Amino acid sequence: MKDRIKEIIDYLKKKKVDYADIRHQKSQVEDISVKNGNVEALSRNEDQGIGIRVIANGAWGFAASSILSLEEMRRVADNAIEIAQASAITKKEDARLTPTDIHQDKYQSRYRIDPFEVPIDKKLELLLKANAILKNNPKIKVAESSMNFFRTEKIFASTEGAYIEQLKLESGAGISATAVEGTEAQKRSFPNSPRGDYAARGYEFVEGLKLVENAEKTREEAVELVSAPPLPDTVATIIIGGNQLALQVHESCGHPTELDRVLGTEISFAGGSFMSIDKLNQLKYGSDKVTIVADATIPEGLGGFGYDDEGVKAQRVYLIKDGLFVGYQTSRETAAVLKQRSNGTMRADGWNRIPLIRMTNINLEPGEWELEDLIKDTKDGFYLETNKSWSIDDKRLNFQFGVEAAWEIKDGKLGRMYKNGVYTGITPQFWNSCDAICNQKHWHIWGVPNCGKGEPMQTARVAHGTAPSRFRNVKVGVSK
Amino acid sequence: MIGKDKILNLLNSVIQKSKADLTEAVYIGGEGGLTRFANSSIHQNVSERNSRVYFRVALGKKIGVASTNSFIQEDLEKSLLNAFEIAKNQRENPNFPGLPSKSDYPKLNTYFESTAQFTPTQRAQGVKKILDQTKASNLTASGSFSTGYTEIAVVNSKGVAGYQPLTSTYLNLVVTGDDSAGYSDQLTRNVDDMGIDQLAQTAIKKCIDSKAPKSLEPGEYTVILEPSAVAALIEWMNYIGFGSKSLQEGTSFLANRIGKKIMGDNVTMYDNGPDESAIAFPFDFEGVPKQKVMLVENGIAKGVVYDSITAHKEGKKSTGHSLTPDSSEGGLALNMFIEGGDSSLDKMIKSAEKAILITRFHYINGYLDTNNALLTGMTRDGTFWVEGGKVQHGIKNLRFTESMLKAFSNVRQISKERKIVNSWWGDVGCIVAPAMMMDNFKFTGKTEF
Repeated sequence: MKDRIKEIIDYLKKKKVDYADIRHQKSQVEDISVKNGNVEALSRNEDQGIGIRVIANGAWGFAASSILSLEEMRRVADNAIEIAQASAITKKEDARLTPTDIHQDKYQSRYRIDPFEVPIDKKLELLLKANAILKNNPKIKVAESSMNFFRTEKIFASTEGAYIEQLKLESGAGISATAVEGTEAQKRSFPNSPRGDYAARGYEFVEGLKLVENAEKTREEAVELVSAPPLPDTVATIIIGGNQLALQVHESCGHPTELDRVLGTEISFAGGSFMSIDKLNQLKYGSDKVTIVADATIPEGLGGFGYDDEGVKAQRVYLIKDGLFVGYQTSRETAAVLKQRSNGTMRADGWNRIPLIRMTNINLEPGEWELEDLIKDTKDGFYLETNKSWSIDDKRLNFQFGVEAAWEIKDGKLGRMYKNGVYTGITPQFWNSCDAICNQKHWHIWGVPNCGKGEPMQTARVAHGTAPSRFRNVKVGVSK
Repeated sequence: MIGKDKILNLLNSVIQKSKADLTEAVYIGGEGGLTRFANSSIHQNVSERNSRVYFRVALGKKIGVASTNSFIQEDLEKSLLNAFEIAKNQRENPNFPGLPSKSDYPKLNTYFESTAQFTPTQRAQGVKKILDQTKASNLTASGSFSTGYTEIAVVNSKGVAGYQPLTSTYLNLVVTGDDSAGYSDQLTRNVDDMGIDQLAQTAIKKCIDSKAPKSLEPGEYTVILEPSAVAALIEWMNYIGFGSKSLQEGTSFLANRIGKKIMGDNVTMYDNGPDESAIAFPFDFEGVPKQKVMLVENGIAKGVVYDSITAHKEGKKSTGHSLTPDSSEGGLALNMFIEGGDSSLDKMIKSAEKAILITRFHYINGYLDTNNALLTGMTRDGTFWVEGGKVQHGIKNLRFTESMLKAFSNVRQISKERKIVNSWWGDVGCIVAPAMMMDNFKFTGKTEF
C-alpha cells in the first residue's frame, strides 16, 4: 500500500494540484449485545479504502473508493481533481492551508490486551453473567449488556511530504436495566449511557469497568426509579455527576468552539455557534472556576491520537481559561482566520469522508472539592446523574438535558430519588453559575462514541474529562 | 452499476460454500456525490464508491454476522468464514425462526439514469443557480445537494433472491440574513424533478419575512406546522414507538395501548414501502416483501412493524421491516405516511386568530419519557407569528417540550397536500407528511435569536 500511495502522490504532483493528501484506512469493529439472556447481536465488520483530498484551481475536491488497485486509485485522484474544478465554479477566494510541521512518523495507542484476540466465549460469559444479575427482579423487563471494539489503522500522506502511520484500539462496554410498571418504563445504566464507557485502550479497560459487580446496584436503582416521583418544577441548586456533565461539556462547549462551525460551514445541518470570533478573549463564558481544554495528547482518551487527519501533531489547548473564552479547535484552513497554526483537530470517521474539526478530549479541569464535602455544603438541591436526553439550539445557547436519575439534597445529605429529571438553561448563564468542581479523585475521562457532524453524516469517537460540579439557580423539572 | 446478474451470481456462489445450516448475504453498494455550500460558496464536495456485504449464518439457532466492504470473491469467502466462526462460538437465540423463504416482489421504478449519471459539475451549476438568487437578495446561502445510485440485493440459502437498483437526490437550503433564516428542501429519486429555483425562492422569502424577529414568552399556543416540522415529530415517534422491539420491551407509547384511542379521530399513520408515490422500496433486509402496516387509524393505536425475530416472539409473521443483519433493533417503519385532510397551509393561516407558524424543528430528542412520547426540540429557520388570519412577523426561536399523544389529539386541521420529507433512512425511505394545525402546543423555553 505504501508504494501505491507514494505513486499516487507523485501522480497528483504531476497533475500540478495546489495540494493533495491521501488517507488509507482499514478498520475492524466488533459489536456484542446481550439482552434478557440472549445474545442479540454478535458481529464483526471490516472496512477499508482510500480517500483523496485535493485543492485544485483554488477549490476543494474529495473522492474515495473501497477498491484499492492502482488503476482505481488513479481514477479516484482524477475524480477528486474534477470535483475541485466543479467547486471552483462558485469560488469566492482560493482555499489555503496554514503551514504546519511535516512529519514522517508512526503512532500506536496504548493497550495491554488486544480485544480482538480475546475469545468470544470469554466476552459472552462476562456479559451473560452481568445480564443474569440485571434481570433478577420481576420488574426488570429489559436487561442489556454490551461491548464494542474498534481497531483502526491509518496511513496519511501528502504532497507536502508527510507520511504517518497510526494504529488505534478502542474498547467500550456497559450495562443497563429497564424497569416497567404499567405504561411507565425507567432505565438505569452503568457506567454511562448509551452502552457504557469507552477508552482508547484494550480489553483491560472492559475488565476494569466491573460490570458484574455493579449489576445489582444498577438493577435496584431502575426498580426504585419506576415508582419514584418526577423531579419537581423549580429553580434549584444542582450538582451534576461526571457522566452527565460530560455531555454538557460536549454540547455547550465542545461543539460551539469548533472553528469551522463558528465560520458557518455547518449552518445547514446542525447549525452555527454563538461563540463568534468577536467574542474571543472577551466573553465571560463561565465562572472563574471553569477551565476547559482540548487535549488530544491524552492517549487513553477516546479523543486522543498521534496526528490528526491533516498530519498535524496532537496538542493541548485552552478553550476556556478561568471562565474566559480564549480558544477554538482549529484546522489548517480555519486557523488562518485567527492568524494561527492549526491546533490539530481535523478527523474523518473513515477513508470515505473528509476530515472535519472534531472534538478531541474536551476536558473540564478538576477543582478542589471532595464530592462528600460538596453535598454537605449544599443545603437544598438535587444531584443529577447519567444522560437520558439531549437537545440544544442551532447556536448552542438554549439547552435541555434529561437525566436517568436525580436525588434530593436536603441539609447536606442525599435523599429520595426522582425520575424524569430535566434541567435547562442558556449556555453562558449556566456556566457562570458554576461555583464548585470536584477534585482529581472524582475526575474521569468519559468516552462518547457517537458524536454526529457533517453531511454525509460522520460519527466521531470523542471524550470529556469531568468531575461532579455544582451550579446555582438552574431551572429543573420542565418535562411536563 | 455492477448489475443484477453479477451481484446475485457472486453472492450465490459464495453462500453455496457455506458450511452453516442457513446462510444469508445482503449487498448494499453504489456511488454518490454530495456538494456542500456555506457562506455562498462550495466548501466541501465529495464522492464515494463503496459497497458492503453482510453475511448472516445460522448453526441451528446460533447466529453469526460478519461484513466486508470488499466485493472480491476471496474477501467475501473470508467474511463468510468469519460469520461461521462467530456462530460456532455463539449461544442459541430461541427467537430465531430460520431465514425467510423465496418471495415475489412488486416491480418498482426506483432507478433514474439522469440521477445516476449526474456529475459534480451539474451539481455545482445547480448550487450556483441558488447562490445567484440569494446574492440578488443580499442574503447568504448554505446547504447540500446530493445525487447517487445504490444497488441492494438479498440472497439466502432458502432461495431468496431480491435485487433493487435505486437512485436518490436531496437538496437542502438554509438562507440567512442579519437576524433571520429561511429553509427549504426536496427529496426525490429523479433529479429532473428537482425544483431548484422554487427551493431558492421559498427559503429566500422565509428569510426576508422573518427578519427583525420578536421575542415571545413560552406557553401553550396554537401551532401551524409545515410538513417538515410534522415529519420531524413523526421521525422520533417512529424511532421510540412504532417498532416491534420498543413495544415488546414496554418503552413504546403504544405499550398497553394497542386498540385504544391515543390521538384525534382525524389522525391516521401507516407504513407502506411499495407505494411509488414516495421513496418506495419492495423488500426488507431479510428479503421479506414490505407490507402496508396501519400504525394509528382514526386515532386508535393499531400496531407496529416487525422483522422475523421479533414477529416470531409473538407468533406472528414479519411485516417486512427488518434492518441490516448487524442490527438488533427489530422492525422499523422506513416508509411512513401521514394521511392528508381537506385543509391547506393557506386555509390554516387564514383561520388562525393567534398561532405560531413553524417551518421546521431542530435537534429533537424523544428519550425524555418514551411511554408518553414526550419530545423536546427547538424551532428553526422560519418561525412566524400569525394573527387575524395573516402572518405578522418573525419570532425568535422557542423550545417545545410536549407529549405527542396530547399534540396529535389536538389536531384541528390537516392539509390535503403532502410532502415527501427526508428521514434518517435516506435512500430506502422517507416520511410523507401534510401540514397540521394543532391547539395547545407547549413551549417551555426560548432562545436569543
